[in-house]
Amino acid sequence: MQKVDRLDWAAGFSLKSYGVRIGIRSNNPAYLARVHEHLPHNWEKMSSPIVDRLYSIVIGGEGARPNIRRFNLLYGNHVRLARSIELDEVFNTLESDLRLFVAELARGRVFVHAGVVGWEGRAVVVPGRSYTGKSTLVAELVRAGATYYSDEYAVFDSRGRVHPFPGPLQIRQEGGFKQTKIDVAQLGGRPGSKPLPVGLVLVTQFKKGARWRPRNLSSGAGALELLSNTVSARRSPASALDAFDNAVVGAQIVKGARGEAQEIVPFILERISKNR
Amino acid sequence: MKTTPNRTPATANGEPRARKDDLIVKEMPDEVLVYDLVRDKAHCLNRTAALVWNYCDGRTGAAAMTGRLERELNVPVDERVVWLALNQLSKNYLLEEQIVPPPLMAGINRRQMMRALGVAAVVAVPVVTSIVAPTPAQAQSCRGPGVPCNNDNQCCSLNCLGIGTNRVCA
Repeated sequence: MQKVDRLDWAAGFSLKSYGVRIGIRSNNPAYLARVHEHLPHNWEKMSSPIVDRLYSIVIGGEGARPNIRRFNLLYGNHVRLARSIELDEVFNTLESDLRLFVAELARGRVFVHAGVVGWEGRAVVVPGRSYTGKSTLVAELVRAGATYYSDEYAVFDSRGRVHPFPGPLQIRQEGGFKQTKIDVAQLGGRPGSKPLPVGLVLVTQFKKGARWRPRNLSSGAGALELLSNTVSARRSPASALDAFDNAVVGAQIVKGARGEAQEIVPFILERISKNR
Repeated sequence: MKTTPNRTPATANGEPRARKDDLIVKEMPDEVLVYDLVRDKAHCLNRTAALVWNYCDGRTGAAAMTGRLERELNVPVDERVVWLALNQLSKNYLLEEQIVPPPLMAGINRRQMMRALGVAAVVAVPVVTSIVAPTPAQAQSCRGPGVPCNNDNQCCSLNCLGIGTNRVCA
């Protein structure tokens, strides 16, 4: 038995998200409800205790003596993922690790690190790494009337359609690294609910002062761009290629550095409308 | 366990054979996507490169491939175009054996080839575009330099530095 299993676990539950089974337990049941805020949107409780990954949360708090505080700890299976006085830090680590685990092992879905909005029944997919300005662009598109699908993952099915993966937008202040969570309603937008075919794949990155001069890419190059941001690219490349093959058919693929997000929003929406 | 295919150099006159093992091949209308399970690399072959790769049956030489390519594309094709395709396929481990280009191809890249052959040849220039497939950690949201972290995977740099609780991303 591992050391973490010998601790005193007061409560726990198991859940399923995209076919991936997750267990969560804690030494303090009062904090277990807080976990719900950090779960992917479509999770459901399950009764089976057999899971693919088990998270253990140790709530520290006040120590035995005054002026001593115990660390809050988070384990993924038997590996310590977080150790912090700040409880938020522990829950944020739980959220990002859990999402990544689900994204990698999801059954029947391919997760691409991308921002997604819907416009006139088509999805605009903006794949890219962190700090490329995906969330900022998604927020601008939502302000312009697009339907919000995700600012973190584009979730593809085998037919190449994109499903919503809603959650608060995480916007960084210019030049900073700290993220602020913003609900889509605060931007005057609404979340999407139906899967959409892809209308436009926009491969772009924020570059201060850049002039928007996009070039068209072929379908194959578009599929490569999606694959280079796919969480399960190495684990299940065949599923990813199947999904992208269907996704890029009939879609426009555009690449280029951009300046301010609002400068290219009209181009994006017009491009989709013209291609209908 | 993944193994690297055994590659022996072939002469310039050798007939190349396309690699079949440990590849996932996805044919698209004008392109072919190939995923190399050994190296975790993905390639996109444009039509010319895909046709040349298709001709690599171990029996067809570059001269014969040139003729087939001309008939297929319906444009005049220089043999150097075929060698350029073979060279790219070989570099990306998509042939069973390594290709040694003939002297006329020594040191010529795609751009120089386009310049040498002129505009008419541009339609037939073979292109193999490649990427390295990301690990899950590379394809997730990550934290920038100076942001508190608990493990390497949380950082864009994959490097969480520090001691005890004072750890930040490099």
